[in-house]
Amino acid sequence: MADIFSSESENGLMCAERHLKRASYAAFLGIRLIVNEGRLQTVLPPREDLIGNVNLPALHGGVLGSLLDLTASLVLAYDAELIDTPRLVNIDVDYLRTGRVLETFGAGEVVRRGRRAANVRCWLWQDNFERPIAAARVQFLLPQRSV
Amino acid sequence: MSLDENDLGPGISVLLPGHPRLAVDEIDQNFHTGAILAIIDNTAGWCIRDHPDYVEGTSMATLDLRVDFLHAVSVSQTLRVRAICEAIDDNVAFVRATAEELENGLIIATGQATFMLGTPSGLDVTTGLD
Repeated sequence: MADIFSSESENGLMCAERHLKRASYAAFLGIRLIVNEGRLQTVLPPREDLIGNVNLPALHGGVLGSLLDLTASLVLAYDAELIDTPRLVNIDVDYLRTGRVLETFGAGEVVRRGRRAANVRCWLWQDNFERPIAAARVQFLLPQRSV
Repeated sequence: MSLDENDLGPGISVLLPGHPRLAVDEIDQNFHTGAILAIIDNTAGWCIRDHPDYVEGTSMATLDLRVDFLHAVSVSQTLRVRAICEAIDDNVAFVRATAEELENGLIIATGQATFMLGTPSGLDVTTGLD
C-alpha cells in the first residue's frame, strides 16, 4: 500500500519530467532528474563546451545560473504539481566556489507558495554536498488556472 | 554571440541571435530565462575589461548576479546586451547590464553583478580549494 503514500510525489515527478522533456534549453545543457529521499535533484553532466574559464578550468557562471534557474522551476513543478510552466520573475545568484568540470547536482526547497507567487531557494554542489558551489533565491509567478 | 562594434558609448554591447535550442520548450518559443541569465553573466564579465582601472590580465570570478526578467522575448529576435562596469574598488567590480530586443530596443531583462578580481591562478584545480 506504499503507493498511496508515494502517489503525491509520483505526480510531482511526472510534472517535473514533463517540464524537462519539452524544455529545449535544458536539453541543450543535458540536464537529468533524480529523486533522492523524496527530494528532486537535477544533474548536469560535465562537458567541455560548458567551460567558461579555460585556465582554471571552471564551468561557466552562466551555465551554473541556468542550472539554478532550471532547478528552481523543476523543484517548484515537482512540489506544486504544476502542469504549466511558472514564470520566473527574478533570480539572485551567489557564486560560492569554483565550479569544477565535474558532475554538478542541484536541489531546492519551496520557501513559500501562495496563490499567485512562489519563492524558491536552491543550491548546487559537486562531490561534496556540504560544500555548495552556488546558491540562489528565485521568485516565480504561478500559472493561473483559466476559468 | 558577437561584440556589437557599432554601438558606441560607455560599457560594451553584445548581440545574441535567437536559436530554437535557447527556447523554453517546443511550444513556448521564447528565450529561456537561463539563456538570458548566461549572456548577461558573460557580458557583465567582459565589460570589466573596458573599465580604466582594470589591469590587463587580471582574472575575475562572479560573486553574485541578480537578474529581473521584465518581458518574455521570442527566439526569432536578436538580443542586445549592454553592460557597464560602474566601479572597481578593493578588487571588487560592480556591473549593471540590460538585455533588449535589437529590433525595437524594448528592455526585457536587467541585471546587477559583482565580481572579485585577481583570483589566484595558482588555485588547486584538482580540489578547487582556495
